[in-house]
Amino acid sequence: MIRFDDVTFVHQNGVRALDGVTLEVRAGETVAIVGENGAGKTTLVKHVTGLLKPASGRVLVDGADTKSSSTAQLSRKVGVAFQNPDHQLFSETVEEEMSFALKNFGFSPDLVANRVSWGLELFGLEEYRKSSPLVLSGGEKKRLTLACILAWDPQVVILDEPTVGQDSIQKEKLAGTIRMLRSTGKTVVVVSHDIEFLWPIQPRVVVMKGGKVVGDGPASEVMQDRELLESARVAQPQLVEFHHWLGRGPERPFVDPLEARRWVEGGMRP
Amino acid sequence: MMWISGGFVFRRGTSAYHKLDPRVKLLISLLMFVATLLVKAVYEMAVVIAFMVAVAAVATVLKRVLRTMAFTALFSAFIFGVNMLATRNLFSSTLYATRFVAIVVSTSLFFITTSPDELEQVMKTFRFPRDIVFAFVTAVRFIPVMMLDTIQIMDAQKSRGLELEKGNILRRVRNMIPILIPLVVNSVVRSGELAEAMESRAYGAVPRPTSLVAYRAGGRDVAVAAAAVLVFALTAYSFYYILPLHLP
Repeated sequence: MIRFDDVTFVHQNGVRALDGVTLEVRAGETVAIVGENGAGKTTLVKHVTGLLKPASGRVLVDGADTKSSSTAQLSRKVGVAFQNPDHQLFSETVEEEMSFALKNFGFSPDLVANRVSWGLELFGLEEYRKSSPLVLSGGEKKRLTLACILAWDPQVVILDEPTVGQDSIQKEKLAGTIRMLRSTGKTVVVVSHDIEFLWPIQPRVVVMKGGKVVGDGPASEVMQDRELLESARVAQPQLVEFHHWLGRGPERPFVDPLEARRWVEGGMRP
Repeated sequence: MMWISGGFVFRRGTSAYHKLDPRVKLLISLLMFVATLLVKAVYEMAVVIAFMVAVAAVATVLKRVLRTMAFTALFSAFIFGVNMLATRNLFSSTLYATRFVAIVVSTSLFFITTSPDELEQVMKTFRFPRDIVFAFVTAVRFIPVMMLDTIQIMDAQKSRGLELEKGNILRRVRNMIPILIPLVVNSVVRSGELAEAMESRAYGAVPRPTSLVAYRAGGRDVAVAAAAVLVFALTAYSFYYILPLHLP
């Protein structure tokens, strides 16, 4: 679905943000991109929508080279929810905000109305339909930006730091949304520092450091590689650390905290 | 956007010009600014612009200044066109067009070599009211932040199918609404947050706060200032009395 072939990108200030990145994200995969600040995570996803073009190498989205496609064309296939919702909300009402992209893509009025209602319902925003998006709380704004993207049903959904400013309930809802997207066959890419949020989702994890991919594999493998994570300044999930601390315990780390609780209450048998 | 970035945003430098007392740099820029208003012929303007280019070279910002001149030339072309239509005078139209470039460069030279902290000190030296100094310096400091905001907002809206370069002029202006509204809203919110943060750090607690750095002009600063005034006086004198060639 998305392919990076030896991609290099250098910012105007001379910083090499991507350095020979080769990566393939297959259709239907859920991928988490982790790494310290400045590792090149956001730069990587900006290449998928053609907002940035590689200095060398190429990026293919559904077979199309991003160098020869406009952001508007690529956005029809790839929806990106950026970190700060305040960077995109501008309409008078929430429903107008949701319909913005749909109108840009030329959806019929009936379809626009249907998709808007569907998105508002899905994210619990129906009561704000006629409110200004600017007066919503931080969490509601974040949900609205995600609803705006899912409304046009892109094949790939990219979430850039989706948990910033979200309380634990919103994070759980967000994790549920990602699982829902995965179950419907969407390709989901999550850029996040929030390891505790990512661990229960069990995505494929791509670790970045200094513009390079230094680790790639299932969460159950990558998140246990303490040396790799420390070199990329990524914390290990608490449940993985708990598993190490136990020494002799269950065969694999718990994925869900409730699983760990049940195990403790059940007498901590291996 | 980029010409504003290149032309007016300070970047730290190590040249002798960067190290001058900021008041001397302000004096030089002011003299160049006044000189652009005094000239009456295109060849005089060429002399003034050549002087500015020389100053830019000394300050090791020549590339940035030339880029600013190139971008400013786009607006100059508009000024030239309007003047030609109104006056049908090639020489006065050229003079007005080049004057615009020269005015931008004279102010640009000051801002790209003077840090916001130095700017603050300069304004304090002239006893501007503290609130005005703070507001002005903060506005200058936030130019790069606003630019970053603008880029991020444009990225977000382009990712939702907005095509900024599509359609006729009216459509393009309308296309800017999704960029401008979040930009203005964010700026207003940020200024409110900044005001609260400043007040919580004792802004306005005493009428005359102290400074981290007190600027004192050294011998080199005085010499450069004197030389600048002398060059300006000689140039102005020669333009009015020695070289009244009445050439274009």
